[in-house]
Amino acid sequence: MDGRENEDVGFQHGGEDDLHCPSLGMSTNPLPEKISGMIMSSVSMYKPSNGADPFFSSGWDPLASLSQNQNFGGSSSTVSHSEFANPPYPIALENQGTSSTGQLVRYPSNSSFVELVQKLPCFGSGSFSEMANSFGFPDCGQIANSGCPQNYASLKEGGTGITSTNGALSRDDPQISCEGAIGSSPNAKRRKRASDSKNSPITHQNAEGELQKSLSRESSDVLKEPDEKKPRIEHSKGSNLRGKQAGKQAKDTSSGDASRENYIHVRARRGQATNSHSLAERVRREKISERMRLLQELVPGCNKITGKAVMLDEIINYVQSLQQQVEFLSMKLATVNPELNIDIEQILSKEIIHSRGGAGAILGLAPAMNSSHHYPHGIFQGTFPSIPSTTPKYPLLPQTVLDNELQSLFQVGFNSCPAVDNLGSNGNLKPEFQ
Amino acid sequence: MISKGATWNSNSCRIKFARRFVSALLHMRNRNTRPGSLTIEGVRTHTQRIKIAAYLSMAQAVGSRRAWSRAVLSKHGSRARRHSRMGRSSVGLKKTRVIRSYPPGELGQAKKLRQLVPGGKTMDMCSLLEETAHYIKCLATQVKVMQTLADNFSK
Repeated sequence: MDGRENEDVGFQHGGEDDLHCPSLGMSTNPLPEKISGMIMSSVSMYKPSNGADPFFSSGWDPLASLSQNQNFGGSSSTVSHSEFANPPYPIALENQGTSSTGQLVRYPSNSSFVELVQKLPCFGSGSFSEMANSFGFPDCGQIANSGCPQNYASLKEGGTGITSTNGALSRDDPQISCEGAIGSSPNAKRRKRASDSKNSPITHQNAEGELQKSLSRESSDVLKEPDEKKPRIEHSKGSNLRGKQAGKQAKDTSSGDASRENYIHVRARRGQATNSHSLAERVRREKISERMRLLQELVPGCNKITGKAVMLDEIINYVQSLQQQVEFLSMKLATVNPELNIDIEQILSKEIIHSRGGAGAILGLAPAMNSSHHYPHGIFQGTFPSIPSTTPKYPLLPQTVLDNELQSLFQVGFNSCPAVDNLGSNGNLKPEFQ
Repeated sequence: MISKGATWNSNSCRIKFARRFVSALLHMRNRNTRPGSLTIEGVRTHTQRIKIAAYLSMAQAVGSRRAWSRAVLSKHGSRARRHSRMGRSSVGLKKTRVIRSYPPGELGQAKKLRQLVPGGKTMDMCSLLEETAHYIKCLATQVKVMQTLADNFSK
C-alpha cells in the first residue's frame, strides 16, 4: 500500500521523527499532527487532561467507530495517565487511515503510533473507565473493557519514549491486530522502560503469552507475529524470561494495583519492594518530604537542617513566635491612641511602602508614646520578660521598641507597680487563639 | 515573601487583610468607650478582640480555600459566637469528639503542630504540613501588616 510505504519511510526516521505524523502518509487525517503534538506533550505531562482536550474533542468519532472493531480481547490492567492521552488518538488515527481493514486496526509503522495503539488496550477496565469518564468519553471505557491484553501494567509511566527500537518495528507489518499490538507492545514497553531493564523483557513475555492466548482468533495477521517475536527476543535483556514471567507478572499486577489506588501512578523502582502498601507508603513519604522542603524555605534559618524531627521543632517554634508577635502587636494596637479620622487608603499605601522597605522598623516609637498612657507602658514592661523567652533567633522587632519605652518609662516615673505585677502574672503571651 | 512568583499573591493577600483589619479596628474603636480603654482589664479585653479580629480578617482574606481558614471562620464566625454564648457544653462535647478522631500522624511533634495550626486536629500529616506552610505565610503577612499599622498609629 502506498500509504504504508509512506508510513514506512516516515517511520524510519528515528525516535523523535516518529512524531512527525504528517510524514506517515496520514495527511488526510488532521489528527496526526495534533497527536504528535499531544505525544510530545504527554511525555512530560502527567495529567493528560491538560492538553488532551483538543484531541478528544476532535478525535472522538474514530474511537466510536473503533469500538465496533472489537479487536481487543481480555481485560487489561491499569495504565498511567501519561499514557492515557495517547491511546485514543492513535486508534482514531488508525481508523481513519486504515478503514479498509475490516476487523484489524492497522497502524502506520510509526513506532509512536504502535506504542499508542498498544497503549489503548492497556487500559485497565476500572481505571480506564474512570479516566475516560473524567474526560467525558464513556465509549473509551467500553472499548477498553471490551477486550484488552492483560499485562500492560508495564506500560505505566513509560511516557512515550520512542527509543531505538524503531528499527525493529519498521520491519514489522504495520497491520496491528491485537496480536500485532501485543507483539509490538513489548517493543514499546521496552522502549518506554529504557531505564528499567528488568521489567521490559519479562513484561514482553507476559504480554505475549497472555495476548496469544486471548487473541488466537485474530488469525489474519499472525504472519507478522514471528517477525515481531524475533526483535523482541533479540532486544530482550534477560535470557530466562519465561522463567521470571510469573514473578514479574505478580510484580506488575501488584504495582498495577497500587497504581490503581493512587491517582498518580508509581512504578516500583529497581530493587525496591513492590508491595502495594509499600508503594503507597513511598508516595506518602515523598509527599511529606516535599512539603517539608517547602516549609524549610518558609522558616528562616532552616536551610541547613536535615531531619524531620528537628525541622518540625523549628516549625513549631516559628509558629509559636509568630502567634506571640500577633498577640503583642494586638496589645500595642489596643493601647494606641485611636485616631478616628483614619484614612484607610493612606494607611494601606503607607503600609505597603513600609512593608516593602522591610518589616517595619519601629525604632522611633518611644518618644511618641511618651506623652500618653502610663498603663500601656506598664503593660509593656510587664509583658516584656515573656517576650525574650521565645526563640531569640527570630527577629522580634518589638524588643527594640520595648527598650526605648522602658527608658522613657523610667524618665516619666512610672509608678503603677501593682498593676505591672498583676499584669506580669497574667501577661502570658502564649497564644490562646487557635 | 516566599519567592518572586509569590510576591503578587502575598501582596494581594496582604492588602486584603489590611483592609479588613483596619475596618475592623475602626469599627471596634467606634464601638469602644473611651474610659474603658484605660483600665488594664479593658485593655486586655480590647487586645483579645483585636487579636481575634486580626485572625478573622486574615481568614476572611484567605477565604475558604484553606482548611485552616475554614476552621478559623467556623470557630469565630458570628454563629459560633452565638453558640458559645448559649451553651458551651455542647460545643465542647462536639470538639472532644472531633479531637479523638484525629489521625495518628507522626509522634508527639505533630500533635503540638496540630494544636498550633487551626483546624489541624483532623488532618493527616501530609495536609497538615501543607496547611502549616500556608498558615506560616499568612501569619507572617499578618505580623508585618500589624507592625506597620502600629507604627503608623503611634507616629
